[in-house]
Amino acid sequence: MSTAWSFYLSTVMVYLGVNVMACLGLNLQYGFTGILNFSFIVYQAAGAYTAAVLTLGPHTAAMSFQRYIGGWSLPFPIPILAGGAVGGALAAAVGWIALRRLRGDYQAMVFLVVSLIATSVATNDVGLFNGSAGLSVIPKPLSGVVGMSLVGYQWFYVGITAIFCLLVYIVVRRITSSPLSRSLRAVRDHEQAAAALGKNVAALRMVSFVVGGVIAGISGAVLVGFISAWSPGAWLYPETFVFFTALIVGGTARNAGAALGALLVPVIFLESTRFLPQFGPPGLIDALQWVAIGLMALVFLWFWPRGVLPERRRIIALPTLRKESEREGAQA
Amino acid sequence: MFLQTVGFGIVTASILALAAVGFTVQFSVTNILNLAYGDVMTASAFVAYVSATAGLNPWIGMITGGIFGSLFSYLLNRFVYTPFIRRGSKLFVMIIVTISMSLILQNVMQIIWGPNFFTVPIPAGSSVRFLGMIFTTSQIVIIAVAVAAMLGLHSLLTFTKLGKAMRATATDPELARNCGIRTKRITDLAWLLSGLLCGLGGVALVIDLGSFQSTTGGEFLVPIIAAAILGGVGQPYGAMLGALVIGMATEMAALVINPEYKEVVAFGLLIVMLLIRPQGLLAEVASQKEVAA
Repeated sequence: MSTAWSFYLSTVMVYLGVNVMACLGLNLQYGFTGILNFSFIVYQAAGAYTAAVLTLGPHTAAMSFQRYIGGWSLPFPIPILAGGAVGGALAAAVGWIALRRLRGDYQAMVFLVVSLIATSVATNDVGLFNGSAGLSVIPKPLSGVVGMSLVGYQWFYVGITAIFCLLVYIVVRRITSSPLSRSLRAVRDHEQAAAALGKNVAALRMVSFVVGGVIAGISGAVLVGFISAWSPGAWLYPETFVFFTALIVGGTARNAGAALGALLVPVIFLESTRFLPQFGPPGLIDALQWVAIGLMALVFLWFWPRGVLPERRRIIALPTLRKESEREGAQA
Repeated sequence: MFLQTVGFGIVTASILALAAVGFTVQFSVTNILNLAYGDVMTASAFVAYVSATAGLNPWIGMITGGIFGSLFSYLLNRFVYTPFIRRGSKLFVMIIVTISMSLILQNVMQIIWGPNFFTVPIPAGSSVRFLGMIFTTSQIVIIAVAVAAMLGLHSLLTFTKLGKAMRATATDPELARNCGIRTKRITDLAWLLSGLLCGLGGVALVIDLGSFQSTTGGEFLVPIIAAAILGGVGQPYGAMLGALVIGMATEMAALVINPEYKEVVAFGLLIVMLLIRPQGLLAEVASQKEVAA
């Protein structure tokens, strides 16, 4: 394998890992709990920003061309974990406002507005977020320590991404295979019934929302360490829609479906268009890509609303009833 | 300066009233949260732009924009939203369908017109002084259109059978159908009516802004949603009140703080409202529809 291919392949694999994490997080919120979180990208961006300012170091002469909050240079896993913490804290704050008393569609409206506003604040507030220019030359984690070649470091980062991806998967898996997930799905499918059975609907939504926020933050932090740049223009609300499309294509409420969607939509589909010859005015291919993503979501919702890997039917036989029917059968 | 800001506030509130009332009527009667609303506004603005640059009077352009918004909303429902509902798509799925349409519309406009800014050519009329406030002719027309639309909607909803049928459908579709109201026809009419307000609001918005591009309407969704929720979603009068509050507050904020933060102020009001009174300012119908769970 040539160096160029090795470089490219490792880049794609890091993107895949980041997207799998994000889709697992959004799937927990949307697929399992039924929260239409159109602001998912905001928690990802917040995690990325946190990780960036925790590695950029203080405002010395070298960094004086850009402005940001704080500025520390903390060792490797801390910035990423802090990114997750900030993503979760932001999710808790937004969830506290939106999830407590509002009906599902109102929540969706508020989340969309949160995403639009976050972009507007980050773009306009040069003092805090360096405006639309964003942050650049963010140091890559452990790059000074391991002392590898460029391609070698790329594969090292694939390893880091894989570790975080695995951790996220284990956590999500713990939740989705536990009784908690049954409560979450009850909230999704029939809120009133879940409440009538004594489930605290708002608290359950909040748990899923905050865990999703933490995962979003971690995935953003892992991504920003790899691309070493952050700008508000890269985290717009349509990016959240890419994850939604991924879940719809892959299959909601199933972790394998989320991972498959992450592979198919943000990685294979969006990467393959990179190899198209450039045509038309600048921005045309991007616009066509967005139209295609929108159409993909509509087509799947129309023909395969349950996705490639549909949610498993969970049928629980009632033991007493079955015994009675068997008894009746024996009598007859 | 203060009075002039009040004047700006009235203009913004007029545009917002057109858009937010359309949004809230659409949502309450049809029960579809149409997140493509802002993009239909932009599309109507492009229609007005095309007809105005083709030599038509720009104010006739506003009417063509309104008619386009009306027909387009109707067709959007007829050929996209209704088929999905018939197929059994639930609330969540419908919201994703509308946001897909939003993305598709926005980018189709981007494909056609590129990332450039456009201006609907409006001749600079003489300015009018009124109670110490100065308005341009186009601002006066925008206010007049909004007031006329609100009065028209008010008389439609209160005095005509059609309006009463619409309110009945919004409150309880099944009961309305049992009373002999043809709810399907009422829903179609609601799409036409709200689409008209959407189109007029879109053209008014871009005339007031001066220039626009394919994302303009989508971004305007923030104050629209803020005004609609502030007034209590599904309440036309609430949306009018919400539009007035948001319009004034954002212009005041632009004077006192920074024009860049107009949307943020609208958002702040929305958050405060959600915390203290999530059912909105006027909330009789809203409470029946279980707005706040």
